[in-house]
Parts: sequence; structure tokens; C-alpha cells
Amino acid sequence: MTIPRSRIAGICVILLVSLSTPSMAVAAPPVFEIEIRNHLFIPDVLTIPSGTKVKLVVYNRDTTPEEFESFELNREKVIMGGRKAVIFIGPLSPGEYPFFGEFNPTTALGTIIVKAEANAD
Amino acid sequence: MLINSVIIVLREVIEAALLISVLLAVSRRLQLSVRWAPVALIAGAVGAALYASLLDSVSELFDGVGQELINALMQVCISALLVVIVLLVARRRERLGGPSTALIGLMAISVALATIREGSEIIVYVIGFVTIESHRASVLLGSLTGAGIGFSVGVLLYYLLLAMRVSHALWVSLTLLALAASSMCAQAAKLLIQADWLPSGAPLWDTSALITEQSMVGQFLYALIGYEATPSAIEVVAYFGSIGIIIASALAGWFVFRTSAEETSG
Repeated sequence: MTIPRSRIAGICVILLVSLSTPSMAVAAPPVFEIEIRNHLFIPDVLTIPSGTKVKLVVYNRDTTPEEFESFELNREKVIMGGRKAVIFIGPLSPGEYPFFGEFNPTTALGTIIVKAEANAD
Repeated sequence: MLINSVIIVLREVIEAALLISVLLAVSRRLQLSVRWAPVALIAGAVGAALYASLLDSVSELFDGVGQELINALMQVCISALLVVIVLLVARRRERLGGPSTALIGLMAISVALATIREGSEIIVYVIGFVTIESHRASVLLGSLTGAGIGFSVGVLLYYLLLAMRVSHALWVSLTLLALAASSMCAQAAKLLIQADWLPSGAPLWDTSALITEQSMVGQFLYALIGYEATPSAIEVVAYFGSIGIIIASALAGWFVFRTSAEETSG
């Protein structure tokens, strides 16, 4: 019946690290924001740290819908006009990951640059 | 805008069209009524319009990932329905009879769900851009062209399946349905990773040097077998796990039904 506290704590840490579901996450992932204006992504280049999950919030300031899409990131989400979308990306290895707006693919283009951080907190 | 409309609508239509044509061909081969198809398509279209109009509020649910969760749920439901359909068809193929109304009902529901899933995105796009005067003509023309190409691919597959020998056609159909089910499971896993409901991981492999997802071949393979150039471990497990479940249950069902049929007949 007596399980050492340290072991319980250890199991909890393992569970948290392995699952890291939103409700259980100790530290919320860093948030990065992008806007869609006149079918353009602002900023169109976003630098994020490598090896960590990131919460991307995309605000669609246009009245028309847009679909955030990236083959490299395996992401796809419709964002209605005047709304925002939450998209989780990563942990990613360093590199460039292009994304685009499927509804306006000639103008709505952007890149996420993943950079290795010396010591990412 | 014109070419873009063609691509957007084609991408959505082709997935549903392939599923519908396989199920229609299966119905014809098993000499079942195909009257379920128009009913399912109309129900799906109404559902798609409703879902599209609710997408605004749906997206806000569950801390902004409602869209992913509902879409994933639909994909998992279609996938589960297809598994049961594969089983029932395999059983009828052995001339063991079985409930045809259940089979027809399941086919209708899966097609209606697929139409809601793919149709709602088309509706969001067309309604969103057709209101802009300068885009109207190209959006409408492009969408019709895309829908037409997708429809033609479906018709082609339908007649290909009908032209084959019955035994071949059923095996090809069952394989295509099993692959569609697995692909939808993998898509659901991808959506749940995007929503942070499943843990993300590094891609297991990268075949984008061979076939990019953007290419025509990549897009077609995506619609047909759920091709993904950089899948994560969970997507791969979901995909091959579903294939495993389908094969295992088909084999189990086949042996059980076969034994019971032999017992009753002999």
C-alpha cells in the first residue's frame, strides 16, 4: 500500500512528458500570431524555435474565408472571414516550412523558419 | 482564380466521387438497389450546407480546435462504417446472404457523411468568393469544371469496376474501400495532432523527393490511398492499424460465416 512519493512523482512526470495533452501540460506552448490581410500573410516569415511545440494563432482580417495549408507541416484548416484559428505545430527540426492560403495561393504565401536555439528555456 | 477554383473543388469532389463510385459498383454487382445513392447525396448536400453555415461557431469550440475534432469524428465514423461494409460485402460474396437493408443503410450513411465533409469546404469557398463581383464568373466556372472532372473520374472508375469480372471487381472494390477507411483514420489522426489532442512527433520518413504531395500524382494518390509524404508515427499506426483490423476481421468473419454455412448446408 505504501508507494514512495518519489515514485508517484516520477510516474507523473513521465505521463506529463509523454502525453502532454493541453489539460495536463505544465508549461503552455509559446504562442505565435499571424494575420491575413488582403489575402496576404503578415508577417510572411515567422521564426520559431526548434524542438518545441508552438501554438499558432492565425487571424483572418479579411471578410472572405481562407484555408491555411502546408504540405511540409501537414496542416490544413479553414478560417472563416473575420475569425481566428488555432493550429498547433511542431516540435520541428530546423529548416524552412512553406505555407499558403489555399483559397488565394498566388498571394497568400508564407514560410515558417525553424531555428535551433542555444538554450530553449 | 479560375484554375484555383478548379483545383480546390476537384480535390474535394474526387475523394467523395471515388468512394461513391466504388459503393455504387458494389451495389450493382450484388444486385442491390442503388436508390440509396441520390438520397444519401441530397442528405449529404443539406448536411454540408448546414455544417458550412455553422463552421464559424464550430471552430470556436474546444479552445479553437472544434473544426479538427468534428472533422476527425466524421472521418473515424466513415472509416468504421466502411469496415462493416467490407465485412458485409465479403459475406455476401460468399453467397451467404446477410442483411441487404443494413448494407444499403451503411453505404448511404457513409456517402452522406463523406459529402458533408468534402461538400462543406466547397460551400465555404464558393459562398465566400462568389459574392465578390470580379471573382464571380471564374469561381463559378472553375468550380463547375472541377466538379465535372471529379465526377468524370468517378464515372470512369465505376465503369471500370463494372467491366471487370465479378470476382475481380469485388476484390478490387473491397481493397479500395479498405484503403479509403485506413486513409480516413490517418487523416483523423493528423487532425487530432493539429488540435494537440494527440502528441506530435517527427515524420517517420520523407518521400517528398519521390512524389511531392503538391504534384498531380501526389494529389491523386492522396485521394485514392491517402498518400502522405511525411507521416508521423501516429498517422502510420492509424493507417496500418486500420488495414490490420480490416484484414483480421474479414478473415475471422469469412471463416466463421463459412463454417456456419457449411454446417447448415451439410
